[in-house]
Order: sequence, then C-alpha cells, then structure tokens
Amino acid sequence: MNFKSQRVAYPYFVVALLLFALQLVMGLYLAFNYFYTVPQAVVDVFPFSTARAMHTNLLVLWLLLGFMGATYYAIPEETQSELAWPKVAWAQLVLLTGTGVAALVGFLFGWTQGRPLLEIPTTLDVLVVVGALMFLANVGVTILRARRFTATQGTLLAGLVFLAVMYLFGMPFYENLAIDWYYWWWVIHLWVEGAWELVTAALMAFMMIQLTGVDRKIVEKWLYVELGLFLFTGLAGTGHHYYWIAAPRYWLWVGGAFSALEPLPIAFMLIDTWRSMKDSKRPQPRLTWVYVIGMAVLHFVGAGLFGFAHTLPQINYYTHGSQVTVSHGHLAFFGAYALLNLSFFYFAIPRLKGFADGRYDERGGHWGFWLTSSAVVGMSLAMAVAGVLQTYLERVQGQPYIVAQSPMRFWMLIVFLHGLLVLAGALLIIKHLLTLRPAPARSGA
Amino acid sequence: MSERAAKLIFWVGTLSSLALFLGLTWDTHRSFAALTHADKLDANVVAGKHVFENHNCNDCHTILGFGGYYAPDLTRAYKRLGEDAVRLRLASPEKAFASSYRKMPQQHLTPVEIDRLVDFLRWVGGIDNHDWPPQDSDTRWKASTRRLVGGAAMSPGAALVSQEACLACHALGNAGEHRGPRLEYVATRRDADWIARYLADPQALTPGSTMPKFDHLSEGQRQAIAEFVASLAEGRTP
Repeated sequence: MNFKSQRVAYPYFVVALLLFALQLVMGLYLAFNYFYTVPQAVVDVFPFSTARAMHTNLLVLWLLLGFMGATYYAIPEETQSELAWPKVAWAQLVLLTGTGVAALVGFLFGWTQGRPLLEIPTTLDVLVVVGALMFLANVGVTILRARRFTATQGTLLAGLVFLAVMYLFGMPFYENLAIDWYYWWWVIHLWVEGAWELVTAALMAFMMIQLTGVDRKIVEKWLYVELGLFLFTGLAGTGHHYYWIAAPRYWLWVGGAFSALEPLPIAFMLIDTWRSMKDSKRPQPRLTWVYVIGMAVLHFVGAGLFGFAHTLPQINYYTHGSQVTVSHGHLAFFGAYALLNLSFFYFAIPRLKGFADGRYDERGGHWGFWLTSSAVVGMSLAMAVAGVLQTYLERVQGQPYIVAQSPMRFWMLIVFLHGLLVLAGALLIIKHLLTLRPAPARSGA
Repeated sequence: MSERAAKLIFWVGTLSSLALFLGLTWDTHRSFAALTHADKLDANVVAGKHVFENHNCNDCHTILGFGGYYAPDLTRAYKRLGEDAVRLRLASPEKAFASSYRKMPQQHLTPVEIDRLVDFLRWVGGIDNHDWPPQDSDTRWKASTRRLVGGAAMSPGAALVSQEACLACHALGNAGEHRGPRLEYVATRRDADWIARYLADPQALTPGSTMPKFDHLSEGQRQAIAEFVASLAEGRTP
C-alpha cells in the first residue's frame, strides 16, 4: 500500500466476505428443498422463491462490492495519486450495504420486482444507481485529476461503466415477456460475459504487473488481444440465450457460432497467467499463485467447458432450463468471479496491512482453497448428473416434470452434502483472510 | 505481435461483433409482434404479467426456460394442464399438491388475479418459440397420438371417449379444448387403474377438481376409457 486512501478497500472486502457466507447458507437451504419435502406451512411463509432471490442477490452484491473495493485499491496505484474523495467511498459502501439489507428484508415480506436476479424493487434500484454514480464519479475524477492514463485502468473503468449502463436495461417493466427476456440478458449475459470479464481482465493485469514485475507493456499488449476476443465472442454470443424466446431463427446460427468460440479468450487468459507466473521475477507466497491459477483453471472449466457443453442449439433444445444450466452456473460463477475476488483479497489485504513485500502467513489458507474448490467441483458434478437425468427423462422421454424429478432428488442430496463442505471451506477462508498475520521470519531465506 | 496489431484485434473484434449484435437487435424487434402474437397481448395479459411478478412465481418456475428450476416450466402450462387445472393450482395449491413431495405456496390470490394469470399463461402458451420445450411440444403429442389412434379408432375406449364428449374439455391429438389436461399428458402421469377410479369420483382423488363424475357408466366402461387414455403414453418416446 503506497497511498492512504487505498485503505477504504478493506471494509469493502470485509462486507463482501460476510455476505458471501450468508449467500452459502441460503444456497444450502435451496439444495435442502430439492431432496426434503418442506411442509406446506413453512412453504407458505418462506418459499423456495424467496430463498432463491436472497441467494442470487447476495451473490451479485458481494461480488460487486468486492470489485469496487478492488478498484479502490488499484486506482491509486495506477494513477499514482490518492483517491479523489475517500469519504464518498465510505458513504457509498454504507448506502449499498444498507440497500442490500433492505432488499433482503423486503424479500421476506414479498417486496419484489419478481424477475429472477433482478428482484430488487424499483425504489431500491434508484439507490443502487446513486451508489454506482458515486463510485464511477470517484474513480473517474481520480483518474482525470492524476492525468496518468494506463490501458489497465482504462479497461477497468470501461468495464465498470459498461456494467452500470447495462443495469439500466433491467429496471423498466416490459409488457411483452419475450422482449422482457431479451433485455434481461443485456444485464445478465453482458455482465458476466462482457463487463465483468473486462473487470476481471483488468484486475488480473494489475495483479500480474505488481506480482511478477513483468514489463507493463507486455502485459497490456496481451490485455488488448484478450479483450478483443472476449468482446468479439461475448457480444454476439448473447444470442445463445435467444434460441427459445420467440426471436427469429437466425439467433440459432449466430448464438451457436459465436458462443462456441467463447472458451477461446478464457483459454488465452489461462495460458497468459501461467506464462506470467513462469516469467515472474519476484518470489510470492505460494498461496497467491494457488488462487490465481486456480481461478484461471476453474474459470476455463466452469465458464468455458461447462458452458460450451450445452451452448449449441441442437443440444440446448433438450438441456435449456434444466439442472444442466444450474451446474454450469455454479462452477462458472465460483471459478470466474468468486475466486477472482478471493485472489484479489489475498493480494491486497497483506499490502493494506503493511506486511513486508505483501508476504503473509499462509498456514490454514491452503485448506480453505482446496476444500472449497474441490467441494464446488463435486457439487457441480452432482448437479450435472441431476441435469443429465432431467434432460433424458423429461425432455427426451417426455416424463412429466415432477416424475422426472424423483430420481434426481438423490443427486440433490449429494449437492447438499458438498454444499456443507463448501460452507466449511469458505468459513476457513474468511477467518484466514480477516485474521491475516505477517509471514513468520525464516532463517537464511 | 506488435502493440499496434494487438490494438487492431481489439477494435476489429469488438466493433464487428457489436455492429452485428445491434443490427440483429433492430431486426428482432421487427419480428417480435408476429412471433409473440402481440395482437393478443391485451391489458388483461399485461395485468397478468404484473401478478406473475408480484408473487415472484418466476423464482420457482421457469418460463421460456428462465427462472428457478424448482417447479415445472410454465411456457405451455395452459395447453398442457388446461384452464381449470391451472385455476385449481393457483387457488388451492395445498389441495392440488397435497400428495406431492414438492409444495407450492398458498398465495391468497383474488379471483381477479387468478383470471389475469390465466390470461397471461394463455397468451404465453401461444407464442412461436421454435417449439420449445420438447416435453410440451404439440407436434410431438399429436404425432404419437396419430400413430396410436390410427390403430385404435374403433377400440371400445376410444368410442366411449367420443360418446362421452371428453374432448369438450380435454385436448387429444389435433382435437379438443384446453379446459382440462391434455389426455396424452394424463397418460404420462397416471396408470389405467388410477384413471378408472378417478372417472368414478374425481373429488376423492383431486379435491377441488372441476371434472364431472362418470358414475353413470359401468365399471367395465370406465376401465375401457382408462385403458385407452393410459395407452396414449406409449409411443411417446421418439
């Protein structure tokens, strides 16, 4: 940490980690509902739908708070100046956290916009927009005042503006359901396969420059190529969500062709990260690389391979809207964005605490990573088995939904059991991160 | 690779994909009206969509394949179940799913809200989305029935289905109405014995059902109808 105002990143990380834990608890309740018959009296008061709204909104909130904290950490380093308004950054955190809590409590009482992942009512949407504007203004003014522009911070800012603008498409009420979903995907798809990938690429580039000492020019050159591939495949690739919404048939061709290429930029990022690690001129704690490489690998497997498995229209006709999607969604979000945030926390927190060379005591941290990651992989595989069963029994054989679900319940129990391990691992990670200590002195090192 | 080439890849990749995407978006908007039968999208359907959202239905059910995966897809629910069965599920889920291992919350919908939801689901059921989902494909129901009815048209069960005017409420193949569930769908859910008992006294098995009793028929006649209906499930797997 070279600038005092970077400190504001830390409370963002803390809130994000606590929300992460709460998200996992809600997820466990959802999995429980799949294999256990929750009685009518409980369902009437706290239905699956409410728990799901909480699970998904917590996910989005903690990831975004993590991105914002990471940005507040990175921008002073990139601009070589203090943040324009550190107090506004604090106010923004209070506002967004308060809005999030209000939304969660509101869901319990049926206060909802009723559209998956975008359940936050319009009144609260306005507060989110205010928070986003405070954030973008703070970052933008910092960059403008410093008059030091880099490709990394440009990408970061572009990704964040892109993210904020897309959110607006999710706010209005659409009369036609097909048009509703058309723009719903402008938020969801263009976030996770557009704006968030820009943010990821920028934060990765930032970390690589700092961690490895590799020349900025080289890192940023590959950043351009990576972004070009991400946006080329990701923008038109939105079409893979338009196959069955009453849109013209050409989306089957466009969506299929472009999204088939979507694993390429992720593979590129994986290779690039691996090479940077090999070329690294500075020794780093082993756990830092475990996280960064783990993120690149699971990003590729979850988003790239699991996504590709059901993106072609001929396959998607049978798998669309089944547990296959759920499997892909969980591994992709964890691999790409949960691990990105955790990687960044492991990078930034030792520096915020002023440990020499960003080195920290790794003991305990490895357990957290391996337990959580392998349990998420196991959970996604169990969901995939359930999904393949559903695809065959319901979609191919034509069994009614509830009949086809019956043999899937066992696999959802397996999902639940893995979920317990995910929660245990995540608690280890959270505890380790929040009580990080300097590396023990080594003799002769 | 030079930095210049890297920047070129970025701009060409991004702008070409963006241009294609925005162009197709414009064209798609011209097609939505016809594909979604927007002429039938009246104020009642819109009101129904509001009810659908207010009660957060979409976080358990999928519709057009999107949403929660915890409950059946609603895209063709109106055509699969028929209007009366949809109403029963909306008004008294605790009865409709009394014996199910998965429950639906009692939302205390007003009669008007139920009417509007039915309007919404009827409209959604008619949109042209390349015949998704496969399990509710009308073409597929009809194909399997055509194969079967071709051989069974003179069976006693088929004759009784015709004589008792079952198709005044139920759909079968190309014919019938959407008040009750499609007969092929019934066949995938129930066996012949269950259907025969149901014909004798629907209320005993599904409280709140609008299905009339067929107790004026003999037990043998009810069994013949039941066997015909149950046989519709055969030939469903392609």
